Amino acid sequence: MKPLAYAALALLLSALEAALLAQLGGGVPLCLAAVLVAHLAVEAAMVEGVVGAAAIGYVLDLVTGSPKGLMTFLAVAAFLLARAVAAAVDLRGRTAFALLAGAVVLGVDAGAIGLARLVGPPDARPGWGLLSRALAEAVVTGLAAPLLRAALRRLDGWLGADAPELMG
Amino acid sequence: MLQLIRRYRELVLAAVLLVFPFAVYVAHARQPPARSALDRAVLLVTAPIERAVGAAVTGILEVWDGYLALRGARARAERLVRENRRLELERQQLGVERAENERLRRLLGIAAAGSERRYVGARVVGIRIGPAGLQILTIDRGSGDGLARAMPVVTADGLVGRIHSTTGGTADVLLVVDRNSSVAVRVERTRVRADVRGLGRPELARLDYALRVEDVIEGDRLVTSGTDAVFPPGIPVGRVTHLRRGSHGLFVEAEVIPAVDPTRVEEVLVVTSGARPEDALPPVPGAEPVP
Repeated sequence: MKPLAYAALALLLSALEAALLAQLGGGVPLCLAAVLVAHLAVEAAMVEGVVGAAAIGYVLDLVTGSPKGLMTFLAVAAFLLARAVAAAVDLRGRTAFALLAGAVVLGVDAGAIGLARLVGPPDARPGWGLLSRALAEAVVTGLAAPLLRAALRRLDGWLGADAPELMG
Repeated sequence: MLQLIRRYRELVLAAVLLVFPFAVYVAHARQPPARSALDRAVLLVTAPIERAVGAAVTGILEVWDGYLALRGARARAERLVRENRRLELERQQLGVERAENERLRRLLGIAAAGSERRYVGARVVGIRIGPAGLQILTIDRGSGDGLARAMPVVTADGLVGRIHSTTGGTADVLLVVDRNSSVAVRVERTRVRADVRGLGRPELARLDYALRVEDVIEGDRLVTSGTDAVFPPGIPVGRVTHLRRGSHGLFVEAEVIPAVDPTRVEEVLVVTSGARPEDALPPVPGAEPVP
């Protein structure tokens, strides 16, 4: 239930981001779906967290127009890494969570750029210069992350949150 | 074995969810797949949300413009009336020149049948310009309005891109600045040929295949050449900047400032006339096949 709810929320947030960017302009993109992955890494149980991250990745594959599987792979990888970090460091504070969400965005973007350079068509390989845009996206998303997290905790309450557990 | 899997089921699940999507990506990275029925159904959900947000923001802005920001409206109206008269004169002049042009074309025997372009107007309801994905605009017209993949999308300022995929009521436009986009252009001043290739950044593109010996300078305006059989000729694409002419090599290195800033586009026109052969289109990851 929770993975489906998070996938639906990722779809809703992606549509809202696209619409707000179109109406308000600006040019700095957001990736609020990455905040969902970070939240799952900190708060969810392993099985529903990893399935939720994959579902969010599938949604990102669709809305960003990436080749199928790219964002799904990166979202699951980001979830596992963030979960490993969360097991070692307390990430329940607002600042720590904002940093984690920013790191997830940066990791997913850098991974997408790196993989597209390795595997993608040669004449459409992205330049590393795109990392500056990824950094801007990570900063803006990190700033928005604590606000979204408050709403996510409420959503978890409705869905019946499970206690977090360690990897493996 | 089964007991082992059961014991480590969480790790096995994580590994499967990591390896399977990666394998799918590697298999599809160079071969553009079509969107499945499930993909289309999921994406259908986004269109009403984007339209609703667009309508809400437009409504608020209209209230602001209509009731609260009327100061100076009279002066603005008078200025617009003067500008309208001037534009009307220019339009009449252009009409005369166009008729003359058509006559000369017929005389030369090169008048193409149906040279008139047909357009469908659309409003931009979504923008996706994240560095990890495609650079896409979503517009509120789709296959139900006669739009199809590869149709050029323009504004009064110049080329925006081409239709990438459609649903019944919306369409995604692949921007000129996307790194999968390549447009055949000419330097307007000297008619030199080149390509404009996107870099994945909304503010900049790259000039490709402009020969080093050709006459290209910074500030040159680039227009579509029409030789790619995708875009009609003569549409502004951008201006040349940061030109570097090395001492060796076949081509110059230059960047292009796009004629249209995609983050500020509100309305676009889709060119619905003109046939585009399927093999003229470069493959784009995630794109639908041409119907």
